[in-house]
Amino acid sequence: MRLKLALLALLLAGPAFGAVQLLNASYDPTRELYQEVNAAFAKQWKAKTGQDVTIQQSHGGSGKQARSVIDGLPADVVTLALAYDVDAIANAGLLPKNWQTRLPNNSSPYTSTIVFLVRKGNPKKIKDWDDLVRPGVSVITPNPKTSGGARWNYLAAWGFALKTHGGDPAKAQDFVKRLYKNVPVLDTGARGATVTFVERGIGDVLIAWENEALLSVREIGKGQFQIVAPSVSILAEPPVAVVDKVANKKKTAAVAKAYLEFLYTPEGQEIAAKNYYRPRLPAMAQKYAQQFPEIKMFTIQDFGGWTRAQQTHFADGGIFDKIYEGR
Amino acid sequence: MKEISLWLCLAWLGFGGTAFAQEPPTEEQPQSVEERLDELDQKVRVLDRKSELDKEQAAEKAKTAGQATAGKDGFSLKSADGAFQLKLRGYTQLDARFYSGDDERPANDTFLLRRIRPIIEGTLFKIFDFRIMPDFAQGQTVLFDGYLEGRFSPAFKVRAGKFKPPVGLERLQSATDTFFVERSYPTSLVPSRDVGIQVSGDLAGGGVNYAVGYFNGVPDGANGGDVDAEDDKDVAARLFFTRKGLGLGIGASQGSTTGTVTATGLPGYRTPGQQTFFSYGAGVFADGDRIRLSPQGYLYAGAFGLLAEYVQSSQEVRRDAVVEELENEAWQVAASWVIAGGEPSFRGVNPKTVFDPAAHTWGAFELVARISGLDVDDEAFPLFANPASAASAADSLGVGLNWYLNRNLKVMLDYERTEFEGGAASGDREDESVLFSRFQIAF
Repeated sequence: MRLKLALLALLLAGPAFGAVQLLNASYDPTRELYQEVNAAFAKQWKAKTGQDVTIQQSHGGSGKQARSVIDGLPADVVTLALAYDVDAIANAGLLPKNWQTRLPNNSSPYTSTIVFLVRKGNPKKIKDWDDLVRPGVSVITPNPKTSGGARWNYLAAWGFALKTHGGDPAKAQDFVKRLYKNVPVLDTGARGATVTFVERGIGDVLIAWENEALLSVREIGKGQFQIVAPSVSILAEPPVAVVDKVANKKKTAAVAKAYLEFLYTPEGQEIAAKNYYRPRLPAMAQKYAQQFPEIKMFTIQDFGGWTRAQQTHFADGGIFDKIYEGR
Repeated sequence: MKEISLWLCLAWLGFGGTAFAQEPPTEEQPQSVEERLDELDQKVRVLDRKSELDKEQAAEKAKTAGQATAGKDGFSLKSADGAFQLKLRGYTQLDARFYSGDDERPANDTFLLRRIRPIIEGTLFKIFDFRIMPDFAQGQTVLFDGYLEGRFSPAFKVRAGKFKPPVGLERLQSATDTFFVERSYPTSLVPSRDVGIQVSGDLAGGGVNYAVGYFNGVPDGANGGDVDAEDDKDVAARLFFTRKGLGLGIGASQGSTTGTVTATGLPGYRTPGQQTFFSYGAGVFADGDRIRLSPQGYLYAGAFGLLAEYVQSSQEVRRDAVVEELENEAWQVAASWVIAGGEPSFRGVNPKTVFDPAAHTWGAFELVARISGLDVDDEAFPLFANPASAASAADSLGVGLNWYLNRNLKVMLDYERTEFEGGAASGDREDESVLFSRFQIAF
């Protein structure tokens, strides 16, 4: 009997002793965030379960990453730029369509917004969205057809234009058209656009994730850039989800779930804040409040949700194609 | 690139700068040389970045683009992830046969297109393979292989269609890799191609290969048709062990067949020179069990190779009211010595150098020798076969030289002499002496 119990205990404890590996398919600018999250989570998981966990990262444009997962990239979890891309994975049957209800805050453990990064001294005197359509201002933003971040940029500009032109969509379209006329090069992802602006020295202003802009100001190009907070922007809620079909097959569902839940813990929230993402946890938001400027924000719901926004603006033949064609 | 930028700046200053000096500035023009230089610098940087992005996109596209390749293994199209493939391969054998001393039974000396076989192979969804191989030689079109195989694991593969049943060793060897121009007697007693389904796989890290199949059933040496004319089926199986160049195994088949006077379901047997030396008499047909058993093996060590095989094939035959089980047997021992440029293997010789006179490289050369024989059951005579025309046994001795110019080209020269027992109105049938040559292209 004792022998049987010992064997049973060994059987149950077996998985705890075997190393496990996760793959996190994420979007472009989260490299630094998840390097830190991965190390902290692995330490916590080892202490809690005795099991070693290694998390591999894969980064790229959010839409492109979603496509890779649908095409077979064995990602246990996705941490993407926008819910629409996770919806696409759900529509492919890799996770349930109610995935947003499985974690708090619509499965979005941190938020960000869209701000401007300008060169030191702000030589083109850029203060708000309407400065980006002035002739002679060179704007850097990635391609919304391939980049989730770029879609947030686009919608933030559109929202500003609607607000300042009395909700007239035609005027908003004209505004955004003039803005993209000032874009000399379209990168495929947010990190590429940062490289274009920061490292290649192209453009007067980078429309960027707030976290990416803060990273550039404080770490990548210290002293060379400054952030301009526009009068209004959009609340970006990057979502996270376990890819059930992959995780179940790899028998990593439990650790994958714990990995994402870790993002909501005080430790996970602090790592997010340190990497310039706005934490959800009120205490942590208060602690890092000084690092994030106060900006009036509208949400994706003001555009009818991601599905509608995607169809109207970014689908083939949508408004962006009309704006950008012939360039 | 910095140098180009500098030259562009200088050129611009030389031309645009002059214009700037002559024309009053407009509202859209930069207000100073410094601003214009900045603008030009931005344009150059944008061009550089666009070029950089184009390269990145091209590299990314290359990762997901399919590949088209051409080489010594044929031509292929392959998806980026390798899950879908299409290969075009094939081989052609241009032979010559010259008989000597064929006074009593003249045989035609001839050049002939022995095999012309394009091969279309492919993979679908990573684990499903297919192969289609017709033969256009000798004035006819015959489908030899046409099957689909699911590779679910190395130990479990399922193949369905028309292919070689797992019985004879030399039969399972590709026609491009045999020591001699023509296969030997044991191959005459095993099925060539049959339609059916087979489960096979490699166990113990590839050291053990098994195959079990369920087939329509064909007479000895026959290439079956696409449809079976009777309900009876054959089961064929083979177990083969390999280790460090040594391969030993056994193949077998068991089934039953019922022929008719016009469709006898019985084979005829041919010499290496492809002359029929045994056939059943008129009115004789298959009627009952057909069992084959074949112990087999090979050994490849260094420059030497040895292949040995024995086949016993029994078949119940009928003539009028008389039914008899006849047991025919065949054997061969064939040896190879690669005297230069490579090593023999069951899959042929892969020459270490290619034929290139300018580089003084000549490919690989192989000497081969073979003794073999086929013995027809004595009970076949005289009721089921005419002893005046059908020999009861044939024994052959052959030697040959093979020249592998490269992996794709092979030239063969063989001489084979065969002696018979019976098969003539009186005494033994006249010996057969044949000189073969072959020019083979395979890719």
